[in-house]
Amino acid sequence: MGEPFDISYVFEYLVKLLPTLKITLLIVVSSIVIGLGVGFIVALPQLYKIPILRRFSQVYLSFFRGTPILIQLFLFYYGLPEILKLVNLDVAKVPAIYFVILTYALHSGAYMAEMIRAAVGAVDRGQVEAAYSVGMNGFQAFTRIVLPQAMAIAIPVFANLVIANLKDTSLAFSLGIMEMTGKSQTLAVMSRHFVETYISLAIIYFVISFGLEKLFHLLERKLLKHERRITTDVKEQLVKLGKTKRSLLGFGYSRGGRENEA
Amino acid sequence: MKLDFAFIWTAFLQLLTAVPTALAITVVSVSCGLLIGTTVAIIRLYKIPVLHPIAASYVTFIRGTPMLTHLLLIYFGLPIIVDGISEALGLSFRSVSIPMIGFAYISFSITAGAYMSEVVRSGLLAVNRGQIEAAYSIGMTTSQAMRRIILPQAFSASLPNLSNSVIGMLHGSTLAFTVSVVDINAKAQIVASTNWKFFEAYLAAALIFWGLTFIIERLTALAEKRFNLYNRGGVS
Amino acid sequence: MIKLTQIKKSFGRNEVLKGIDLTVKKGEVVAILGPSGSGKTTLLRCINYLEKPSDGQITIDEFTVNYKRPDKKDIHTLRQKSAMVFQQYNLFKHKTALENVMEGLLIVKKLPKEKARQISVELLDKVGLGNKLDAYPSELSGGQQQRVGIARALALNPEVILFDEPTSALDPELVGEVLGVIRKIAKEGITMIIVTHEMSFAQDVANHVVFMDGGVIVEEGNPSQIFNNPKEERTKQFFKRITPDGVYSI
Repeated sequence: MGEPFDISYVFEYLVKLLPTLKITLLIVVSSIVIGLGVGFIVALPQLYKIPILRRFSQVYLSFFRGTPILIQLFLFYYGLPEILKLVNLDVAKVPAIYFVILTYALHSGAYMAEMIRAAVGAVDRGQVEAAYSVGMNGFQAFTRIVLPQAMAIAIPVFANLVIANLKDTSLAFSLGIMEMTGKSQTLAVMSRHFVETYISLAIIYFVISFGLEKLFHLLERKLLKHERRITTDVKEQLVKLGKTKRSLLGFGYSRGGRENEA
Repeated sequence: MKLDFAFIWTAFLQLLTAVPTALAITVVSVSCGLLIGTTVAIIRLYKIPVLHPIAASYVTFIRGTPMLTHLLLIYFGLPIIVDGISEALGLSFRSVSIPMIGFAYISFSITAGAYMSEVVRSGLLAVNRGQIEAAYSIGMTTSQAMRRIILPQAFSASLPNLSNSVIGMLHGSTLAFTVSVVDINAKAQIVASTNWKFFEAYLAAALIFWGLTFIIERLTALAEKRFNLYNRGGVS
Repeated sequence: MIKLTQIKKSFGRNEVLKGIDLTVKKGEVVAILGPSGSGKTTLLRCINYLEKPSDGQITIDEFTVNYKRPDKKDIHTLRQKSAMVFQQYNLFKHKTALENVMEGLLIVKKLPKEKARQISVELLDKVGLGNKLDAYPSELSGGQQQRVGIARALALNPEVILFDEPTSALDPELVGEVLGVIRKIAKEGITMIIVTHEMSFAQDVANHVVFMDGGVIVEEGNPSQIFNNPKEERTKQFFKRITPDGVYSI
């Protein structure tokens, strides 16, 4: 179906694909940043058990985790312009990449919300009580005591989400975005060296996700410096986090689970 | 905007015909993945020489790359290998006789295998060490202990992860359209292409996936109740 | 002075505190004793509003909060007037010993950093941890952690320090060092309310003993009166059960 296999092309395509890495990373970084914000907004009604908003959060989570990202991409790409027309906003000329970023952000937002909820829940209740007992108000207790500890707990899950998001961006090609996968398809079709192109593509993804994983590992060590000897206490918290928040242990092309590495 | 509700319903009904394909992909990849995953997990847990590093690299590579690249590599790479081998052996079999969906089955099983191995591994690790010692103490062999004591407990411990894997593969089945398999996603494109009502078609597709996911979650909850009977009690 | 009036607390249908009245004079060291489930820890937590009482009123140092309708500001003020030493220490896990003590001074009292540091170092010295300033809680023994907890409470210079079974999570050999520190600060005239199981310690340190059972105060008075000559049958029973042959031990 293509040209005979020639390993030397792998390197050539690697060089040709690398420039499109910045589009991939643009999608990843912006959707993660927005997704974190979305995640916070969605998690808050659940953390503070706000009556009606809590329902909305639940439906949001259920929808974005209950449907494939590919379907969501198409849904927003086709649907959002229609909805915005209602308020006389014409987005027909807005480049597709903005829709893609928005979709990935909303999608990650659901998982981020779960992560935040789980991590905050894993911080010992006694910590908040101690904060109150020294006279802090609720906001101070949250920002100074709970959040820093929750962040350290959430890092492994966050790392998973970023890497999963990176892998998910490979679907953006379906809306014509020329990120790495999109570019590789064009290259492959033109040269007929399919396998070589896709090997190059896989190599780049692998190196990036591997690097990210190592990076987050370092960050985690730094944030957990107060646990110089990792106590069973924190291990328990991590286990609890993994057990109760099963969605984050998840799997498939959309959510990787690597909690149990090591 | 006028949302064409009638068409959402039409699309919904038409998309239902693609549900069996999606389910077939899910079931095949999950079952084969479970088989691969269990083998890999046992190889890694017992640190079997030679196989152990291979298994580890397999898991690391698959989890470090998108599922789509696995599919593309299998779709374009497997025929070269298959044809090469059968030519060398003088067989008449050629890769063109592999149906499109076969590539999806193979590729997704390989993907699922890597993730499943982690599910199985964490399930096995969740079983208390004392359990196997107790099994030995009443004279069971390793394989008896595995089958009768460890695996049943590991299974119920990993049910939530397992359910996530199934949902992951179900959602992953939407990638099959790239190798021309008519799954729910491809069907939505086809249904909408006649009248350009893509939004409606994808709404219907989203609803179907949402429903299927919901069903899987319900079933898991039921299974958890059933299998975790022995786990009751404790503090709560 | 601290004055509790008709403090009530229920968990669901279960009434844990059935109207507690208690007055603590300035500089008094109060020991609250009683069997588990008697409501003594709940009472202590109500004073700091870590538990929300269903009814009642509290006055600390002329400042009164009615628990029927407390507003957020009142609770905040109330908490600043008291400090708590927890059974499980509850040191901030991501902060060093020094940072734990400084935290309240910086954030709540808004002291400048230098000043906060100076006070904290002095206090840690006082509890015998001058050499552990930069240690994280995970690097400290239980006894050391609890002493940091006491320094953290002292730093706020509160009207009253509440001790919730401060030694019951400790290994027996570490109990002494913590009790020693509490004894030391008791002599400085700081008002303290201590929930404890350490009978000999209570007898020795407290100048006001309260015996609780079933959500009410059964009997209160000075230590020699309560320990040696209890009036109520329930108090007698309690001491008989936990101190056979007159040996104070649990």
